[in-house]
Amino acid sequence: MSRLRVAFLSPAAIVTIALFAIPIGIICAYSLLSRGAYGGVILPWTIESYRRVFDPLYAEILWRSFVLAAISTSLCLILGFPLALYIARSKRRTLLLNLVMLPFWTSFLIRTYAWMFLLRDTGLINTILQSLHLIRQPLPLLFNDGAVVLGLVYGYLPFMVLPLYATLEKLDPALLDAARDLGATPWVATWKIIVPLSRSGMLAGSLLVFIPCLGAYLTPDLLGGGKTVMIGNLVQNQFTTARDWPFGSAVSLLLMALVLIILLRMLSRQSEQLL
Amino acid sequence: MNRRVFLLAVSGAAAGCMTEHARRLNVYNWSDYVARDTIPKFEREFGAHIRYATYESAEEMLAKAMTGNSGWDVVFPSNSYVQPMREMDLLAPLDHKRLANLKNLGKRFQSPPWDPELGWSTPYMYGSTGIVYSKQAPQPEGWRDLWVNKYQGRMTMLDDPAEVFAACLKRLGDSVNATAPPELKSAEALAIRQKPLVRAYINAEVRDQLIAGDVLAAQSWSITAQQAIDQSGRLAFVYPAEGFPLYCDTAAILRESRHQELAHEFLNYLLRPEVAAAIAREMRTATANEAARHLLPAKDSENTTLYPTEAILARGEWFEAMPPAAQRLRDRLWTQIKSA
Repeated sequence: MSRLRVAFLSPAAIVTIALFAIPIGIICAYSLLSRGAYGGVILPWTIESYRRVFDPLYAEILWRSFVLAAISTSLCLILGFPLALYIARSKRRTLLLNLVMLPFWTSFLIRTYAWMFLLRDTGLINTILQSLHLIRQPLPLLFNDGAVVLGLVYGYLPFMVLPLYATLEKLDPALLDAARDLGATPWVATWKIIVPLSRSGMLAGSLLVFIPCLGAYLTPDLLGGGKTVMIGNLVQNQFTTARDWPFGSAVSLLLMALVLIILLRMLSRQSEQLL
Repeated sequence: MNRRVFLLAVSGAAAGCMTEHARRLNVYNWSDYVARDTIPKFEREFGAHIRYATYESAEEMLAKAMTGNSGWDVVFPSNSYVQPMREMDLLAPLDHKRLANLKNLGKRFQSPPWDPELGWSTPYMYGSTGIVYSKQAPQPEGWRDLWVNKYQGRMTMLDDPAEVFAACLKRLGDSVNATAPPELKSAEALAIRQKPLVRAYINAEVRDQLIAGDVLAAQSWSITAQQAIDQSGRLAFVYPAEGFPLYCDTAAILRESRHQELAHEFLNYLLRPEVAAAIAREMRTATANEAARHLLPAKDSENTTLYPTEAILARGEWFEAMPPAAQRLRDRLWTQIKSA
């Protein structure tokens, strides 16, 4: 019995160690080494990279990334909640869920390029608006923070919808019947029954959206026109043009630590509420 | 199958594997940098098998080569990487006796500043950075024109610190390879002053928006510019008056390579006029191979975007490798420009 358990658990354990623990260990080691002149790392050991992390410039970038990720997550929640509720109550759930997941069939890069095509001055949206005489000059839709948020919301909305759907789908319809019998309007019933009961789905969805948004680098580069730096771009630059692997490792570890702290605080608050 | 036939077959197969193993070459190149038939023709003629893969950034190649066990034989470092790779002992010395076709290179590339004896690298394709602009807009003459309002919001710069610094430094009358903090800080201030006019920091992706007319002027590599000009007669390219950066990609053999002989044959093959011409024609790049240039149709070989005249080239300056301290300062300043 116990040998069987070991046999079944060991593949997962090996994968976790090989693909998670060891790489993180390597990043930790890199962050404490000195930079090689042309990339790579060399001795001696030093904490210099961590000293450089605490620079107001990088704090500002981190703050901006948090704000953009928080805005994107809130928008995903506002858009995703009604959609998940609708799907959970629909008769064509399978079809609708597949439609939500459909964008994953194409590469994220290609879909981002498609947005560039839609948003640019001579793009589809501006062309239509101009031919309807609604605007004279093309709207500046591309290459600003708005376009970055749009790209992030578009990219990560499914990660919000799917966990929300999973929670809402399990909700007992009898609870809503009871609320209605007690005189609650549909709005009140949604606000007082459905929203509190789907909190775990909201939390899971928000984390699944917030964390990748925080580390995004492709969207700010392509839709933001490289005019703002998010923390993901900073890390990417260290491994490419700046050739400063120790600093890149230190920044990414700091980011990971911050995410972990947020995660733990949210989880402990949730368990308090459950008690 | 009787036993003797089986043994014969096995040894035959083994021999086959061994000869194939001996004639095997691993080539790691930039994407879009050979013609469709470059590799198959070499394989047929030399009875070799080439494993071919591509990279998008020099750092990607360098990181692999630095392991000393990358499995690649031939790589294509840009000129500014030749010296660093030599210092790190990553490159194999070239044997000129096996590279008879070196004579086909243009005079400028027979003894380039980054490798005067061509002891470690053979020049392959070269290019430069200038301004591509719409003929319907006022014509720019130099980098300084990218700081005036006439292109406000319809002008882009490259998303590459070396290039943006190069434009700013040239405007200030400095070298594109400046390392001194005061010069770099003046360049940073200039870039921040320009930022409100910049629509985006964007590389080759700007091509579509140039063709569509969204963007009126863009800091651009000559190759990207030529590809855009090919598709739209309204575009033109200018080599900035203040001077501009030049780069050259080279072919080199890694020291770790166990196929030095075949690698030399491959480099010599790439230096053949007809091979280099086919690549330049298909990829719309400028070949360092003078004999190949003569084989190109006049509209290519006399194209001044790809092949600037000697008078223009005199204003160009080759990119050099950055010392670590300057590299770090440049990155810090670049992050500041992007955050401004």
